[in-house]
Amino acid sequence: MSLAVEVKSLVKQFGNIRALDGITFNIKEGEIFGLIGPNGAGKTTTLRIICTLILPTSGAVKVFGLDVVNQASEVRKVISYLPEEAGAYPNLSGWEYLEFMARFSKGSASEVKRTIEEAAAISGLGERLKDKTKTYSKGMKRRLLVARALMTRPKLAILDEPASGLDVLHAYHVREIIKRYVKEHGVTVLLSSHNMLEVEYLCDRVALVNKGKVVVEGEPQKLKAKFNSANLEEVFAKVVGYA
Amino acid sequence: MLKGFQTIFVKELKELIRDPKILLGMLVIPLVLFPILGMVLGYAAETAQEQAEKATLLVVNNDGGNWSEVFIAFMNASMKTIVVSNLTPQQVLEQDLLKQNNSTQFIEIPAGFSANMTEHASGNQKIKATVNVYGVFQGSGVFSDIGASVTNVIVSKFNRYIAPDVVQITQSTIIKGEIQTGVDPATLSSLMMMQTIAIPVTVMIMLTYSMQIAATSVAMEKEEKTLETLLTVPVDRFAILMGKLASTIIVAGIASAAMMIGYNYMLGSITTQIPSELSVDLVKLGLMPTTFGYLLLGISLFMTLLSGLALAVIMSAFASDVRGATALVGYIYPIIFIPAMALMYLDINTLPMAIKALFFAIPYSQPIIASKAVVMGDYTTVIFGIIYVAIFTVVVMYAASRLFATEKILTAKLLFKGKMGKTVAETE
Repeated sequence: MSLAVEVKSLVKQFGNIRALDGITFNIKEGEIFGLIGPNGAGKTTTLRIICTLILPTSGAVKVFGLDVVNQASEVRKVISYLPEEAGAYPNLSGWEYLEFMARFSKGSASEVKRTIEEAAAISGLGERLKDKTKTYSKGMKRRLLVARALMTRPKLAILDEPASGLDVLHAYHVREIIKRYVKEHGVTVLLSSHNMLEVEYLCDRVALVNKGKVVVEGEPQKLKAKFNSANLEEVFAKVVGYA
Repeated sequence: MLKGFQTIFVKELKELIRDPKILLGMLVIPLVLFPILGMVLGYAAETAQEQAEKATLLVVNNDGGNWSEVFIAFMNASMKTIVVSNLTPQQVLEQDLLKQNNSTQFIEIPAGFSANMTEHASGNQKIKATVNVYGVFQGSGVFSDIGASVTNVIVSKFNRYIAPDVVQITQSTIIKGEIQTGVDPATLSSLMMMQTIAIPVTVMIMLTYSMQIAATSVAMEKEEKTLETLLTVPVDRFAILMGKLASTIIVAGIASAAMMIGYNYMLGSITTQIPSELSVDLVKLGLMPTTFGYLLLGISLFMTLLSGLALAVIMSAFASDVRGATALVGYIYPIIFIPAMALMYLDINTLPMAIKALFFAIPYSQPIIASKAVVMGDYTTVIFGIIYVAIFTVVVMYAASRLFATEKILTAKLLFKGKMGKTVAETE
């Protein structure tokens, strides 16, 4: 199977602070890959470099063979990024927001319409899509944004904390969307989370990140077996020496 | 006291005082702005006075009698005079004597002056002597007619010295090289003042208001957390910037058109409300802008607004939220206010070279300079100003496009302390 993402010795320096300290991992095509770790571990910085928002200090990142530094505009055509604290334009309706975003990726009016209808189905927001997004609850907004990230059927969806801060039902819906949609359409997913249980449920493989480095990588079941742990939380604690 | 009031009050006070942007805006700017303005105005008034005193007064002696010699000698004691004889006012203009003698006004002692003085002195006090003062209208500004006032002061002094009201003055104005008999430069200046105040005030309001709106365009994307998503979609970042600017161009265009309509209406109101006894017809005097003048003024205003909006957009990229963006844009206000307020009172052409150059260099003073220049038919200054603002705008837009092309659009912040710590904290 070919590689969707290749991250090699990635370093990002912010002034005196080394946010990433030589991160290396690969993601196979069609895989749901999770970056997990505590706040400040370097997850978001890694995602931001992969989605061409910021430049690496050193190291290399390729998305489907495209270099994120030198071929950034090409990379943007095959990815879709959902930031952790993303928002929607408050004075646009949900439908208008989806249409606005769809127009960047899709050419014809019929394609745009089909894309929005798909997003409407993913989000499950129904008639509420006609309302302005400023009237949405946090959960509804997140469902809209997840739908936006997936509706274009990107080759790689980069989801930063897709269900963070949501109540049980909204979080459940969002996870179900990702799992089902990704498998149906063969989309590769890179997601980050500090919720190990969520990652365990969703991901085919994970990389545990701490202080800007990948400390361990593998399939959740194998990692649990290897470290003789009940869940990934315990694996992480053992790896970083908390337990 | 209201329960909890003190706690909230102290916390609010701490937040406000500890925000350097607010502190600078509230304290430093007024404390710096007004003294600078005072210095500019004081210096300009002083310069105008000095220039008036140093100015050469051209005297056209068409009388040739003894009293005219006395009168000239009296004037010569107060200011430098150059005397020519037996020329009509029209001949003075034709021979370009004002320019040759570096003067902006001349006084004609008409034939019969000495005879009238002698008649008055011999007891017939109904007979008065007259002198005719001709001043060049250069534009408007509080201090621009100081020259004319100096002549009035000298004549008053002469009257006090000889006999009350023995010499009377008739005022005429030279507008665009033509003598407008009976038009008092002071009356004209005060009429023109209405527009010299209206334009700067309107420009200040329009610029500050529209820049506040433009400043929110990027900051709002950051505050609503939509910018990151937008920057990762397959769209040219220059297109994002141009899209934002284009919408503000529409706003600027509508605002300019509205202002030109309002300005035209205002000038129309002024001309219809001038009392007929003043016999001042601005249209007839050529002191109303032509259609071409209006067009140039509109373009100047539009370019200035565009330039201000582009700068506001780029500045807003340095703020993390709308509040920060509007505070940042506030730093531009003194640059708008100082020339605008100063040019209400001053004619830029009478300013010392350094201040004149500074005001020309500030793009936001161009419509104000243009509004005076189009009235005087000085289109070169207006066109030069438009080209200058256009170049300035292109430079600003280039800088903005460079900013949008890099990660600085996300990470750039004007930090006052703890530089990188905050950036990393927000990144993670």
